Amino acid sequence: MSIFEYNGSALVAMVGKNCFAIASDRRLGVQLQTIATDFQRISKIHDKLFIGLSGLATDSQTLYQRLVFRHKLYQLREECDMKPETFASLVSSMQYEKRFGPYFCQPVIAGLGDDDKPFICTMDAIGAKELAKDFVVAGTASESLYGACESMFKPDMEAEELFETISQALLSSVDRDCLSGWGGHVYVVTPTEVKERILKGRMD
Amino acid sequence: MLDTTALESFPSLISHGINVAGEISAPPSFQLPNSNDFDGFVKETIQMVKPAKGTTTLAFIFKEGVMVAADSRASMGGYISSQSVKKIIEINPYMLGTMAGGAADCQFWHRNLGIKCRLHELANKRRISVTGASKLLANILYSYRGMGSSVGTMIAGWDETGPGLYYVDSEGGRLKGNRFSVGSGSPYAYGVLDSGYKYDMSVEEASELARRAIYHATFRDGASGGVASVYYVGPTGRKKLSGDDVGELHYHYNPVTPSTVE
Repeated sequence: MSIFEYNGSALVAMVGKNCFAIASDRRLGVQLQTIATDFQRISKIHDKLFIGLSGLATDSQTLYQRLVFRHKLYQLREECDMKPETFASLVSSMQYEKRFGPYFCQPVIAGLGDDDKPFICTMDAIGAKELAKDFVVAGTASESLYGACESMFKPDMEAEELFETISQALLSSVDRDCLSGWGGHVYVVTPTEVKERILKGRMD
Repeated sequence: MLDTTALESFPSLISHGINVAGEISAPPSFQLPNSNDFDGFVKETIQMVKPAKGTTTLAFIFKEGVMVAADSRASMGGYISSQSVKKIIEINPYMLGTMAGGAADCQFWHRNLGIKCRLHELANKRRISVTGASKLLANILYSYRGMGSSVGTMIAGWDETGPGLYYVDSEGGRLKGNRFSVGSGSPYAYGVLDSGYKYDMSVEEASELARRAIYHATFRDGASGGVASVYYVGPTGRKKLSGDDVGELHYHYNPVTPSTVE
């Protein structure tokens, strides 16, 4: 198994009508052994910007801490929160700095930009951005997730329907992956509120 | 005069083993692949099959008989190819075999063993013992040692001497014992099985122990999951006791109370 499959992860983000949802699994493993079933893979940068980091868990924790540091500096200097597009460029350049000794992480970034327009993107381990209008996926279950999202996604879904869709896509995909699952964690973000929910999934 | 009909391989009995000229024809064997690098080819097949030992099976002897349990997941590397594989194979009405390793290897050799056991019954007018059946399988697997088959099986049954349990693998090993667990999830199953085991258990207690051991293994091991099947072999023969979906079993053992997230 490759280094990206050492810990196991599943991440997906979807765009809805003036809202977005980002979801992850909750497993932390060491190859086939499950160590924890409450691992946080998605973190808040600010109220309208979330980042999920899949891949090697130690690199995702370190990369997250460095990003929080850079964002706090930005807030002090610019006296405002970073826009999602700007943040995505920051993550991309930070990853490319380590081009010949990369962080083994695939980030999924989701946020509300100007006029609360939803923005999602993903990157590979060395910072190649992939912007999408509908959904982005990452992790060991990514191939299953592509299939599930492609068939379940509809444009312009409201927050509740988006939550249902992303949860079903996540749970059905991780049920075909040995290395991810053991529950789910979903954030649905609208201009007015952030709703965090834990999903009851198969624990095998 | 020694009766060796049960020891000959099945197809040769049809051709009587002797051709018209009075010579004994060569016993049928598997065709070998035409490859320049046979060793490399064998190594590759071993590697292809190796990840398939992702499973949890267990069996133990107790006062009332033998309890056998297994999960039902088949995995290829990280991908789950099936959640509904039958890993407990019914060799005959009083003997069970478990599957760990290559699915094709286990299914084929268990069926072959069932054939040989039936032939033994017909030739000797009595059932074959668990000792004898496991020895037949172990000898066959030993002759194919190093050729890339992957079998980690337990033969469990009830014969004239009472309950019998043997572990047989494709390296040629054969062990008699009271408690075994085979597969990538076996360390977790052993933890639960060893701490809860008592010889004087009732059938209900033993089946609950077996089910819980499989459940704990599916929780911790990524390559085990699906359905926890529990079988019992007693003096009257084999019986399937339960087949519970492990996903639901988790919430049965750990009921969830809804709580708010801050």
